[in-house]
Amino acid sequence: MRALIIDDSKAMRSILGRMLRGLQFEIVEAANGREALEQLQSGKNIDIALVDWNMPEMNGFEFVRAVRAEHAYDRVLLMMVTTETEMENVARALAAGANEYVMKPFTPEVIMEKLRIFGMAGS
Amino acid sequence: MGDIDDIIRDFLLESNENLDQLDRDLITLEKDPTARDILASIFRTIHTIKGTTGFLGFKRLESVAHVGENLLSSLRDGRLTLNAEITSALLAMVDAVRQMLVKIEATGKEGDGDYTSLIETLTRLQGDHKVADPKSAALATPPAVMPPPTIEEIRKDLEIPESVQPLGEILVQTGAATRERVDEALSLQKHGDKRRLGEILVATGAALPAAVQDALQVQTESRTPALSESSIRVDVGLLDRLMNLVGELVLARNQILQFSTVQQDSGFLNTTQRLNLITNELQEGVMKTRMQPIGNVWSKFPRVVRDLATACGKQVRIEMEGKETDLDKTIIESIKDPLTHLVRNAVDHGIETPQKRRAAGKSPEGHLLLRAYHEGGQVNIEISDDGAGINLDRVKHQALERGLIPPDQAARLNERELVNLIFLPGFSTADKVTNVSGRGVGMDVVKTNIEKIGGTVDVQNRPGQGTTLKIKIPLTLAIIPALIVTSHGDRFAIPQVNLLELVRVEGEQARSGIENIHGAVVYRLRGKLLPLINLRRELQAEKHDELSSQEGPVNIVVLQADDRHFGLIVDEINDTEEIVVKPLGKQLKGISTFAGATIMGDGQVALILDVLGLAQRANVVSELRDRLAGDLAAKVESQRSDGDSLLLLRGPDDGRMAMPLSMVARLEEFALSSVEHADGRQVVQYRGQILPLIDLSSALTERRLQNRVSGSTAESVENAKIQVVVHSEQGRSVGLVVDRILDIAHEAIKIQRHTVRPGTLGSMVVQGRVTEMLDVKGIIQTADPDFFRETAAA
Repeated sequence: MRALIIDDSKAMRSILGRMLRGLQFEIVEAANGREALEQLQSGKNIDIALVDWNMPEMNGFEFVRAVRAEHAYDRVLLMMVTTETEMENVARALAAGANEYVMKPFTPEVIMEKLRIFGMAGS
Repeated sequence: MGDIDDIIRDFLLESNENLDQLDRDLITLEKDPTARDILASIFRTIHTIKGTTGFLGFKRLESVAHVGENLLSSLRDGRLTLNAEITSALLAMVDAVRQMLVKIEATGKEGDGDYTSLIETLTRLQGDHKVADPKSAALATPPAVMPPPTIEEIRKDLEIPESVQPLGEILVQTGAATRERVDEALSLQKHGDKRRLGEILVATGAALPAAVQDALQVQTESRTPALSESSIRVDVGLLDRLMNLVGELVLARNQILQFSTVQQDSGFLNTTQRLNLITNELQEGVMKTRMQPIGNVWSKFPRVVRDLATACGKQVRIEMEGKETDLDKTIIESIKDPLTHLVRNAVDHGIETPQKRRAAGKSPEGHLLLRAYHEGGQVNIEISDDGAGINLDRVKHQALERGLIPPDQAARLNERELVNLIFLPGFSTADKVTNVSGRGVGMDVVKTNIEKIGGTVDVQNRPGQGTTLKIKIPLTLAIIPALIVTSHGDRFAIPQVNLLELVRVEGEQARSGIENIHGAVVYRLRGKLLPLINLRRELQAEKHDELSSQEGPVNIVVLQADDRHFGLIVDEINDTEEIVVKPLGKQLKGISTFAGATIMGDGQVALILDVLGLAQRANVVSELRDRLAGDLAAKVESQRSDGDSLLLLRGPDDGRMAMPLSMVARLEEFALSSVEHADGRQVVQYRGQILPLIDLSSALTERRLQNRVSGSTAESVENAKIQVVVHSEQGRSVGLVVDRILDIAHEAIKIQRHTVRPGTLGSMVVQGRVTEMLDVKGIIQTADPDFFRETAAA
């Protein structure tokens, strides 16, 4: 399983990366939507993308729209990483094709739970 | 664990950078509370900090950031408008966050600071009274009022899916589908059709698959911004190493260039040329990577100014020009503190209170302008305020009170000198000691710090209208132009910034011009005493000062250190060169005489002289009072002279003679062999014309002690030179052959004894010695009666 972590904060990427590695994911990182899109376009097989909302160059919403405009990425699961102040944005992102969201801060268990819905979490 | 440490380090790095930006943004925002993009950026910063701290378990930090975020989100959504109170509270929040970050950096923990009142304020300002007890808010995790909604709940709230509409729009616009069919498809989706819009349109035959593909393509392209250039973070240490390597490369290049001068092989020469060009470009490129815009330093100032102005009850608007002006990283670091000090000074001392400003007919808001620009390989930074300017009377008063200058001197100081008193150690004009300035450590430190990096500070004072401080600093300290000199067989580099001029004193002049006054060796340069340091002696290559007995020409490098001029005697002056500055090893680091080392083209090491250190060691840059006294003495001297410059010559009888400099067109030196005879007179070819010569020693015949007539001395004719003073009148010139040109003095012409010896007008005292004034016109008239007649006719 490979997860793409998209966040402009390196610290945040490290935190998420650490968590997902613990869940046996292989990690790919991107600092914004554009970089993430390039990762996808480069043919990397991505199972799930964790998407931050606020990012320079291309924000999370634009990223979701761009990914969903391309059928090749239909099976990439898009999970918005958000906070309670951003609930309106989550609605927009979901409308644009995001599959799930998690609210910061969260524990590995929360992620596990969400992944289970998509049949992704192992044992 | 190391993993977590790395994360925390990244977090601190990011947060600090973001907070710096945030300070700036808040100030900008206060001026333009409607700037949404700035609000969004501020919000994002706090939001990110809060989001990250939640994971890292910094509860206090999180709760402070949380209330801050709430307040910011109210501002962002337009529910609140920014005012001074909110700005202050937000700035206080930024400070609190920063404080905790510092603690985390130092101890790994966020500390136990009490931020309840801050949280209370931020909550109150938000107008949200839900958090009645700020204490619980401070300690509890941010309130999650309700369990977060599930995906289904959110989906239910959704209306028309946003992303789909543009696709429909595109299809309608390109004419690939009609509005009606698209609307139909959209309503199908609304009623539970899980297919995508494109799929529905194709399935219902509303649009061709190819058209949908095209539209999707258009859609993607419009959303994906063109690949803009990206930047990466590079470790400063790596840049320093690169710079060092480039320095080495420059040296190797120099060696090859030197080697190439004795080579004939054109292939090798071409390659050398190429290597030279590439090295230059590489050097420039790497230097650029170390450049930072001065805006990085300035960015903190709006906050500084705001806080200070508020504390002083003043209104100050700060404006910046040339933020993007680049400077070497090391220089940026070393001017940070001096600049901050000057900015604080301008607000604290320069700009008046709104009441005073109104009374003076100015707008109540003071204006502080920071300007930076490149000029002549240097960077100029100006800090101007439109305040009251420097009160010179008060400066004088303060200086006297603190005993910085003796009373008799104070009266004689001119405006410029008075202004410069502010740079004296221990000087302060603040009426009351505030917590920001007026502690007596200030301008002198600013000046010293700027001079340390080869810069200068200059004050322009406009009483009642403001003050401008002008700072000039070099672009970089890594590669500098330097003069290479030799002393006792070793080569030394002297930074060009310290260099004023080169003086070569020969034989007789060296014996009479270099004097020993109370053990101090001085040279009289244009009427001013120039203290001399013998580099040999300073380096203790020679035990005794053998100046007086020294034979041959003396090479004096005139240098400037801390506003004081002095001469450095060296054996040989070689050349100027761009040198790569290398730090000294620790064995030599403690020696104040050397600033660094460099490697010369031939691969040998040369030490770089620290001019200020050298001057201090040799005591030529002595106490402050000496400096003032010196300036005053020079001034008094120049005032006495008031006007006339005199050329001093040695006359035929070894006496001193003078002529007004205004009568001198040029000073020339001709080889004796170039003197020709024409029409019974001595002439030389000069600038395509024939210049008749008049030998002073023959013009003043009765004073000839010995036969000094040109060409008849024991000197070999080929090598002998004659010194000629060219006098021009209405396009005609005549050359006066003199024995020796001594000096130029500045003195009022007051001829004291009108003995009318032929060829003189009388005598006067110049530089404390009796000097005869030459009657230039009389001499020319006697030797060449036609000269004036012809000029009159011409």
